[in-house]
Amino acid sequence: MSEITLHDLEKQYGETTAVEDVSVEIRDGELLCLLGPSGSGKSTTLRMIAGLETPTSGTISIEADDVTDQPAYERNTSTVFQDWALFPHKSVLENVAFGLKMRGMSKDERHTRARSMLERVQMGGYGDDDPTNLSGGQKQRVALARSLAVNPDVLLLDEPLSNLDKRLREDMQIELREIHEDLEETFVHVTHDQDEAFTLADRIGIMNEGELVQVGDPDEVYENPKNRFIEAFLGDTNFVDAVVTRTSSDAVHVDTELGTELVLPTDAEPAVDEGTGLTLSLRPEILSIDGETGRHEPAGKQAVATDGSAHNAVTGTVENVIYRGSTVRYSVSINGSSMFAERTDASTGAHAAGDDIRLEWDGEDVLAFSDDGTRVTL
Amino acid sequence: MTTTNTHDPSSLDRIRDAVVGQSNSRRALLLMAPLIAFELLVFVIPFFILLRISVASGSADLPYEPGTWSLDAYSSVIENILSFDLFWSILVYSFVLGGAVTIVTVGIALFYAYAIWRSNGLVKSLLLFSVILPLLTTLVIRTYAFTPLLSPTGTVNDILLSLNLLSEPIQFVPGTVGAGIGQLYIVLPYAVLAIYSVMATIDWDIVEAARDLGASRPRSVVEVVVPQVMPGVIVATVISFAWSVGSYAAPGLLSDNYTFAIYIERLLLTDQRYPTAAAFSVIMLVLMLISTGALFAILNRFGGDFDLA
Repeated sequence: MSEITLHDLEKQYGETTAVEDVSVEIRDGELLCLLGPSGSGKSTTLRMIAGLETPTSGTISIEADDVTDQPAYERNTSTVFQDWALFPHKSVLENVAFGLKMRGMSKDERHTRARSMLERVQMGGYGDDDPTNLSGGQKQRVALARSLAVNPDVLLLDEPLSNLDKRLREDMQIELREIHEDLEETFVHVTHDQDEAFTLADRIGIMNEGELVQVGDPDEVYENPKNRFIEAFLGDTNFVDAVVTRTSSDAVHVDTELGTELVLPTDAEPAVDEGTGLTLSLRPEILSIDGETGRHEPAGKQAVATDGSAHNAVTGTVENVIYRGSTVRYSVSINGSSMFAERTDASTGAHAAGDDIRLEWDGEDVLAFSDDGTRVTL
Repeated sequence: MTTTNTHDPSSLDRIRDAVVGQSNSRRALLLMAPLIAFELLVFVIPFFILLRISVASGSADLPYEPGTWSLDAYSSVIENILSFDLFWSILVYSFVLGGAVTIVTVGIALFYAYAIWRSNGLVKSLLLFSVILPLLTTLVIRTYAFTPLLSPTGTVNDILLSLNLLSEPIQFVPGTVGAGIGQLYIVLPYAVLAIYSVMATIDWDIVEAARDLGASRPRSVVEVVVPQVMPGVIVATVISFAWSVGSYAAPGLLSDNYTFAIYIERLLLTDQRYPTAAAFSVIMLVLMLISTGALFAILNRFGGDFDLA
C-alpha cells in the first residue's frame, strides 16, 4: 500500500526518447492502468518504477522515499511480466516462495505462505508441478501469486494478460479486479487494450509517443478527452472535417464535409473564430438512426437529446451492413463522405444496403478538435 | 457396429503401421550405418585389441607374447598402485592436474560465457571470435608459445620483476604451473562454447524477475542462471576433466613431469611393455568412468532449487 510519485521522468536510448516528461501521482491503493499503443513508453515507465530501467532524468518516489537510484532488488515493488518469467527449474511452490527466500524467511515459513498464496489464486493443488507444464492461464496465476507473496508496496503488471485468449483474458480481468479490491494494494497495470483498461482501472493514464497525455477516471477520459489521439484510441468514432462559419453567443455554426451546416451549442462565448478548421468527433452511440437511438443510452442523456435547439441531422445512403453479433454497423455515404452508425438490436428496423437513412444527434455530444489535435472546448 | 467384418480397418491399420514403422527404423539404421562402421573401426575394435593385449603375458624380445593369457600386468600395476609406488604417484599427479585445470577452466568459462551472453554487437562478436581464434593455431605452437611467456627469463617474470612483485624469477615453465596453464588454454574454448550454447537459450526475463523479487546481482545469477546452465557446465566439466587427466601435449611440452598419458607412451615406445601399458590404460579408464559418474551425480544436485546456507 503506497503512494508513488513520478516526476518529470525521462528515458532515452541513444538518440531515441522512449519516455518524456512523465509526471503522475499514483494514489495509495488505486489501480492505475497505463494505456497506449505499442511503443508509447508505457512498459518503459513501468520498468522504471520497478527499477529494471534507470531513468535518464526525473525522480521516482514511493511514499516519501526517493527510490530513483535504488536497484530493483532493493525496491519493494513486484512485477508480473508479459511472458510471466517463471523460473523453469524450480517447482511452482519454489517459484512463489522465491521472493520470501530472498528476504531470508525460513523454508517452512515461506512454503506455508507460498501455499496460501497459491490457494488465493486457485492453484492450490499445483505446488509440486513443474511450471513449464502449466497452461498460459495457470502460469499467469502462479506469476501473480509469486509477485503478491512478497507483499509489495506496489504490484506492477506488464501486459500480463496479452498472451491469453480472449475468454480467459476477460475472466482474468474480473479476477484481477477482485484481488485488487481484496488486497487494497496499489496496482499499476500496463495494457494496450482499452477494454481491459476500462474493466480494471480506477484511473487510466493514456500514453502516446513517450508522453503521458491524460490521466483520469475512465469515464472522464472517455467523455472528456484532451486530444484527438485519445478520442480515436478509446473506441470507434466518426471524424468529420469542419470550418467555423459563424459564431453567436450560445452556438458555433460549422460547415462540414457532409455538406450540411451543423450547430454546436456552447455554454459561454465561443472560443473559436470564424474560418477556424475543426475536426468533429461523432461517436456511434450519439447517433440515432431514423429517430431510434443506436445504443442504449444512460437515462440522463435522453433529456438532453429531446432539447430541440441543438438538434443536428443528416441523410445518407447505407453502403454496407456489417453484422457484429451484439450490434449491427451501417456504413453510410453522405454527400461522398462516409460515416458509420450502430444499432444494438439486430432483428428490428433492419436496413439493407441502398436504403436511405437519417442520422440524428444532439450537438451537445459532439467533440471538437483543432487542426493540431488538441481539444477545443466550445 | 460391424464388429464381425473380416476387413477390420483397425487391424489393417495396425499391420500398415507395423510395416511403416519397421521401414522407418530400417531407414534410421541405414542412416546410422556409416557412423556405426566408423565407431567400430576406430574405437570399438582397437579397444578390444587393447583389452586383449592387457591380458597377454610379457615377453623378453617382443612387446608382448601373442596368444597367451595372463593377469600379470594387472596384478603388477595394481600392486604398484597399492604400495604407493611410481604408478600411484603418476595417477595422483594426473588426477590432481586434471582436477585443478577443470575447476579453473569451468570457473573462467562461466564468466566468459556470461560476458558473451550479456554483450551486444561488436563486443559480442569479438568475444566469440577470440574463443574460436586459438583453435585456428596448431596445438603444439600455441602450447609452446607459453615457454617464452612463462619461462624464468620470460615476459611474465620480466613484468613481475620490474614491478618489484618478485625478488627472483619463478620457474613456471618447465613445471606443473606451466603445464596446467597450457592445458587450460587447450580446453577453455570448448568449455566456453559448451556453457555459452546453453546460456544463450536462457530468457533474460527470469533474471530480471529474480532481481525484481529481491535477489542481488550475484544472487540472481546463482539462483536462476547457474541451475539452468548446469547441462552446459556438466558437459564443460567432463570435457575439461577427461582431457586434462589424460593430458599429453601440455605437460609434455611445458614440464618434465610424467602424467599418465606420457608414462603410457614411455611404457609402449621405450620400455616396450605392452601388457603393462594396456592394463594401466584400462585401470585409468575405469577410474575416469567412476569419477565422471560421480561428477554427474554431484553437479546434477545443483540443477534445481538449493539452499546456499
